[in-house]
Amino acid sequence: MQFCRVRSVAEAVDELSRWGTEGRILAGGTDVMPQYLRGEQSPAALIDISGIDGLQGISEVGGVTSIGALVTMRRLATASLVQLRYPALAQAAALVGAWQTQTVATLGGNICSAAATADTLPALLVADAQLMLVSKSGRRRVSLEELLEGPGVTALRPTELLRAVEVEPLGERGAEGYVKVSRRSAMDLAVVGLALRLSVTPSGVISGVRIALCGGARAAHRVPTAESLLLGSQLSGDIDVFGAVGEELARAVGPAVSPEAHYRRRVLRGLFDRLARRCTAQIPGASG
Amino acid sequence: MSVLGTSPERSDADAKLRGQAIFGADLSRTGMLWAALARSPVAAGRIRAIDPAPALRGDGVLEVLTSADVPDWRTGVIVSDTPLLAAGSVAYEGEPVAIVVAESRTAAEAGARAVALDIETAEPVSTPEQALEPGARLVHPDWNRFAVAGGEDIGRNGNVVAEVVHDPGDLDEAFAAADIVVEGTYRTPRQYQAHLEPKMALATYESGRFTIEVSHQYPFRLRDRVAQITGVAPSAVRVVGHHIGGGFGAKLDVSLEAFVALLARRFRRPVRMQHTALEERLVAPCRANAIVAVRSAVRRDGTILATDVEIVSDSGAYANNGPALSSIPMFVFGSIYRVGTARIRTRNVYTNTAPTGAYRGVNGPWLVFANERHMDAIADALGRDRRDFRLASLARDGDLMRNGQPLTEASILREAFDRVDELAPWRDIVSRNQAQRGIVSRNQAQRDAGARTSQPAESDADVLRGAGQAAAIWLTNPMPGHATVKLNEDGTATVITSATENGSGAVATGLRQIAAETLGLAADAVTITMPDTDATGYDAGSQGSRTTHVVGRAIADAAADVRTQVLDRASRMLEAAPEDLVITDGVVTVAGVPAASLTLGAVAQAATWSDGPITAGASYVTPTPPHDPACATGMLIKGWPTPTYHLHQAEVSVDTVTGRVTVDRYVVCQEVGRAIHPDAIAGQIQGGVAQGLGFALSERVDLDHGRYVQRTFKAHGLPLAEDVPKVEMIVMEHADPAGPYGAKGAAEPPIVPVAAAVANAVSDAIGVPFDTLPITPEAVLEALEAEPNGETVARAAREPVVNRDGEQERETTGRAS
Repeated sequence: MQFCRVRSVAEAVDELSRWGTEGRILAGGTDVMPQYLRGEQSPAALIDISGIDGLQGISEVGGVTSIGALVTMRRLATASLVQLRYPALAQAAALVGAWQTQTVATLGGNICSAAATADTLPALLVADAQLMLVSKSGRRRVSLEELLEGPGVTALRPTELLRAVEVEPLGERGAEGYVKVSRRSAMDLAVVGLALRLSVTPSGVISGVRIALCGGARAAHRVPTAESLLLGSQLSGDIDVFGAVGEELARAVGPAVSPEAHYRRRVLRGLFDRLARRCTAQIPGASG
Repeated sequence: MSVLGTSPERSDADAKLRGQAIFGADLSRTGMLWAALARSPVAAGRIRAIDPAPALRGDGVLEVLTSADVPDWRTGVIVSDTPLLAAGSVAYEGEPVAIVVAESRTAAEAGARAVALDIETAEPVSTPEQALEPGARLVHPDWNRFAVAGGEDIGRNGNVVAEVVHDPGDLDEAFAAADIVVEGTYRTPRQYQAHLEPKMALATYESGRFTIEVSHQYPFRLRDRVAQITGVAPSAVRVVGHHIGGGFGAKLDVSLEAFVALLARRFRRPVRMQHTALEERLVAPCRANAIVAVRSAVRRDGTILATDVEIVSDSGAYANNGPALSSIPMFVFGSIYRVGTARIRTRNVYTNTAPTGAYRGVNGPWLVFANERHMDAIADALGRDRRDFRLASLARDGDLMRNGQPLTEASILREAFDRVDELAPWRDIVSRNQAQRGIVSRNQAQRDAGARTSQPAESDADVLRGAGQAAAIWLTNPMPGHATVKLNEDGTATVITSATENGSGAVATGLRQIAAETLGLAADAVTITMPDTDATGYDAGSQGSRTTHVVGRAIADAAADVRTQVLDRASRMLEAAPEDLVITDGVVTVAGVPAASLTLGAVAQAATWSDGPITAGASYVTPTPPHDPACATGMLIKGWPTPTYHLHQAEVSVDTVTGRVTVDRYVVCQEVGRAIHPDAIAGQIQGGVAQGLGFALSERVDLDHGRYVQRTFKAHGLPLAEDVPKVEMIVMEHADPAGPYGAKGAAEPPIVPVAAAVANAVSDAIGVPFDTLPITPEAVLEALEAEPNGETVARAAREPVVNRDGEQERETTGRAS
């Protein structure tokens, strides 16, 4: 195996076009290295992009936030911009692995590995994340929803590099959050992860809903059937709509074929209620 | 000034902290070969053929040995049922079938994977229940040919490895006189020791003798077992111990040592082996899984008239020490709490699974789990407060255990209940938890009524709280120890012993303090040797909390002898009577005459060049306590020496959404005789509780058709630092006259009551009994959903319903008949 350390995006896409499907990008290495050591991956080349400065940094231009592919989980969890405008993402990043993992694991890695349990993906989905891809033949912009095709399977081409992620900030009368259920309090994959973003009109009508899940057999995904139940409802109404959404989410994760799936369905009902209450409590006047 | 009750630095702290300590797994020798085992991939089957050719084609592979190439006799600690390499058939997944010798570890392991095994699989006997079914396939059809050490009758029969029966014959009468009968069946899984350093062994063969270097808890047993397996005299085997990276009971018997010995002799080169992480997991001598069925005859006033206990524990494919451990129920049931009479039957059975063995507090965690869950069930059935019921039922001084042994200090346990209550008052906790249940019910009712759901819930509105207690009386292992104490010519002392430092600090701190105290030295003026069976008297290993008590006593006696020699020599040098001399900080002084003094170094030098060096040796074995030898059949552990007393109290939160249990507060009250090194005891308590919490809540050692389901540390689910609260500790001292300065054992017991206390707390929180471990989030949610009509997750059933006369009003629940 060849180890290629690249210093620029241009060098990276050169190597990618050279190695094609035989090359594997190495960023934080928290996913790639264990897979390699277990013999599950044996690429001909490891292309180490961790030294590319251009993939670092969080910037804000014209109301859109761009997060570099090499931004670490620890950075996402602690950056005040992320905490303020993308609290679900900050919360998700803080729940990845443990402190040590978060210090090296990157956002780009979490996206491109596309694990079914990837914590940041539901949070990115509710922020309508757009991915900036680059290859030798040019640039491409794809929504995260389109990119995720299945657990560990993406629409990313073998010669493409993820450069940055653009996310849409939380509105003024909005709230969001991410909750994770895992077997242990750290260093564990999500049995289920749930992100919710809500926007509410001044009169208390839910005008925007995004709900996304990770942890099942599928890749992280939005749940439109659950979103539509909530859209347009009055927050101070007396219908137990949160309960209905929870039921819908439980249905959406598919049949309970394994004990774990059964548990996931059970948890989702109460979990959505918990997250929704937490979010609505943050919207001024919404709970009155 | 006394060094006892202080916490001087461990002798191994610096080297371990800097990464300089040499553990067994660090050892290497020039010209060393490696070997690795090809193991059975199936739980049961007949070996049709073993083809070594694919392995022999590997670079650096020298030889592949099968059962035909090694001694063909079976051996064992108690029952000689274990072959060195499987011959004819395999009895568990992971059983050694062939051994590959190579120039490197990589080559040996690749070779072991390459050996082609042709095994005709058989349907395994997977569970103890299956093993006992009429007509069950016998794990060992030739069981009757296996020899038993000492020719003891341990009740073997087919798949039953051992049976211990205590039956005074008066149970029917007692049950006929009962107002209520409370029954419960308590099921617990295996527990994996999960020590970090894998098992290893390094052997050399020179001048007709084996030298085996290891990190092992019991070098002398290793000496004897290697001799037994290789067919040489024990004195032809020398075992040298190195730093141990954790054992918890897993490193008490032979594993790889006999293989390296045989290979070292065959190749006349040093040979080394080491388990892979997967091997560790597959063949670890886990704590046995067990089923304990308890039935008690109880009067309305709370008197337990009789208890009938039926136990089945899983020995796995070979007996190991299961037959001995089958005596332990005799010291749990009817010892801690009074029962009029008891029948106890324990059967240890063969299955086609990896042999089980010793894990800290052997059998204790599941026996105490059953005993204490049962006490809660009886209290509930009677409508009694659980703590009050325990106090009313506690054993009293002079009560007899089931083996007829008097409990001379049972009142220590009552003191423990008082001490815990001072720190964490039970009544306050119970009423606070009750109030919390009210909040959860209201919240639930509101939600069910379709009330405004966007209302932020009251804080913790979906968290139930519960509390539980569990008590134990645990032993201090009595087995022999020896120490030689020598006064060095520079005035320091060296203790020569094969007591092993297994991480607890018993050797690295406690034993040195005991020598220092007796000799009038600072603790750091005492050096202690690493184990070496050639150089020391017998030592029964780091097990059963014995080192401080047994070896400590031998050291105290030897050091007292050295002290006498010092005073004798110094009295001649100072021209004063020995009884007028004092030794402080390494200086001998005539009492009241500070100018008349000598350093211990001066005394030692003078002695060495006149009478000869000052040394002394001493041995100790705890005598077996008085007992009735006819109390049971099949009993190999006859008494419960040097008992210590323990009460644990757990407070938990149960998240009703996720089913997660959080331990909010944990209080341990532990009696230790005399606290030699308080920090080391605190470490033992914190660690024991952590392991107990893993057993109770998160660790998984599931078997599916005889094969382990979880095969990695990650899947195993050890508790993390975040999952373990800072344990609050009360250490009680009731000096034991036989112990060194009163010390009893302190290492094992902190794990013993944990699962019981936690399960009692979770059962209390939810109002549904948890009689099976582990208490997983899934199990919790299932229990919550099982509540009638899903009405409320917080039934108020815990509140005692008692009328003016203190009699139970409400009819008892399904558990009482």
